[in-house]
Amino acid sequence: MILLQSHSRFLLQTLLNRVQNLEKAIELDHHWVEFDDVRFHVQVSMKNPHILQLSLSLPTPPLETVFVGGLPFGAIEAIKAAYGVTVQILDPPRDGFNLTLKLNLSKLPQDEEHRHTLLVKIASVREVVLGAPLRVILKHLASRTVAPDMNQFVALVHRPNESFFLVPQAEKVTVIFPMRFKDSIDTILATSFLQEFMESRRTAGLSNAPPCLWSQSPPLELKGATDNALSANAGFVTFVIFPRHVEGRKLDRTVWNLSTFHAYVNYHVKCSEGFMHSRMRRRVESLIQALNCAKPDQEKTKKTPHTRSFKRLSLKDSRTNSSS
Amino acid sequence: MANPLKLYLTCVRNTLEAAMCLQNFPCQEVERHNKPEVELKTSPELLLNPVLICRNEAEKCLIETSINSLRISLKVKQADELENILAKKFLRFLSMRAEAFQVLRRKPVQGYDISFLITNYHCEEMQKQKLIDFIVQFMEDIDKEISELKMSVSTRGRLVATEFLKQFL
Repeated sequence: MILLQSHSRFLLQTLLNRVQNLEKAIELDHHWVEFDDVRFHVQVSMKNPHILQLSLSLPTPPLETVFVGGLPFGAIEAIKAAYGVTVQILDPPRDGFNLTLKLNLSKLPQDEEHRHTLLVKIASVREVVLGAPLRVILKHLASRTVAPDMNQFVALVHRPNESFFLVPQAEKVTVIFPMRFKDSIDTILATSFLQEFMESRRTAGLSNAPPCLWSQSPPLELKGATDNALSANAGFVTFVIFPRHVEGRKLDRTVWNLSTFHAYVNYHVKCSEGFMHSRMRRRVESLIQALNCAKPDQEKTKKTPHTRSFKRLSLKDSRTNSSS
Repeated sequence: MANPLKLYLTCVRNTLEAAMCLQNFPCQEVERHNKPEVELKTSPELLLNPVLICRNEAEKCLIETSINSLRISLKVKQADELENILAKKFLRFLSMRAEAFQVLRRKPVQGYDISFLITNYHCEEMQKQKLIDFIVQFMEDIDKEISELKMSVSTRGRLVATEFLKQFL
């Protein structure tokens, strides 16, 4: 798996399970956490087996991010547009969560294919909610306008207490990610990955991809942002998104990829660390083997793996034995 | 590329061959103790002159000898930050498994990345020639491993970046 999937696999599995055994009433109460501190809670009660309550908690937003009633702006509209009648937003949400949805599983479309698409869409609820403001801005870009009452730049939360920035303009949207990593090794690996982003953008096949820049210091667009927002130990990545990147069906993919860019890089940094470890383990084994070669008794046992408990006498030996 | 490294390794090998003539030598101060003199440095007449072999400023090998023990310290080439991290990670990984290597020192000598401590007991237990072979192979392998690890990081980085950017096409 190179790319991150937008739906939560576990949630999808739970939903599919539930839909298949709708007449069987069971009690469900699951909590789980996914990357970037997004928490889920699913609850089904014995009384109403076709009602499923899904709660979602988002990463804590930093100061510069705009949150309306505990959700990013445009999230409520995005949910309504995406799910229609099957989903009801409960107000207030469950304690400790930002959003609670009530799913009526009996109202799902009968058609197998449609139902599956809708369930996948419900399982990608984090994309819908967290990506909502990004989607609004990119939609404006597709129609080549700037949304009214926008600041010079917009901060959107993507990790706990961290945000990335958008500079919306009529012809392009500049997306800036301050990259922060906790571990010094992660930082260095990520830095080398990010440089590869710049390099590979120059190859022939990707000349239509969004221009990508990486720099150690904050780009000029972020002038005026707080110091806290501008401290990044792995530099800043800038993507310039043009209308051609958000046309039609590309919008969904672009929103998802941009909102999980940090997670994507982090995931691959961890993967390559894991790969390194398994490689080093193998190398240690081969080195130990080389050292064992130096031991003389080891060699002898290798040559004769079966040590016999009796000595086989040849005919000649036995004769001399008997004569003595 | 292979040639200058070969010269360096041959030099190390020859020095080790000359240096590795160790004998049993009980401690002079404490009865019934037997300690590696190169570590304790209890008296100067038990120590030989240390030999420092440098390939360049970043890559060197210090061989310290005493009557009953021998210490080899290596400094590995680290051209940039990434190589530095990879070397550190890999050598730490090895040092943590020093038990399995017997001749590996748990902590490197100051100023070096990894150290070996060979005592007369190791020489009795193992064939001297093969032990030298192991040290030389180790030096070779470390260089190879680090450059391969670096390559794998950049290959993965390239693939990751290309896949991501392809999503926008």
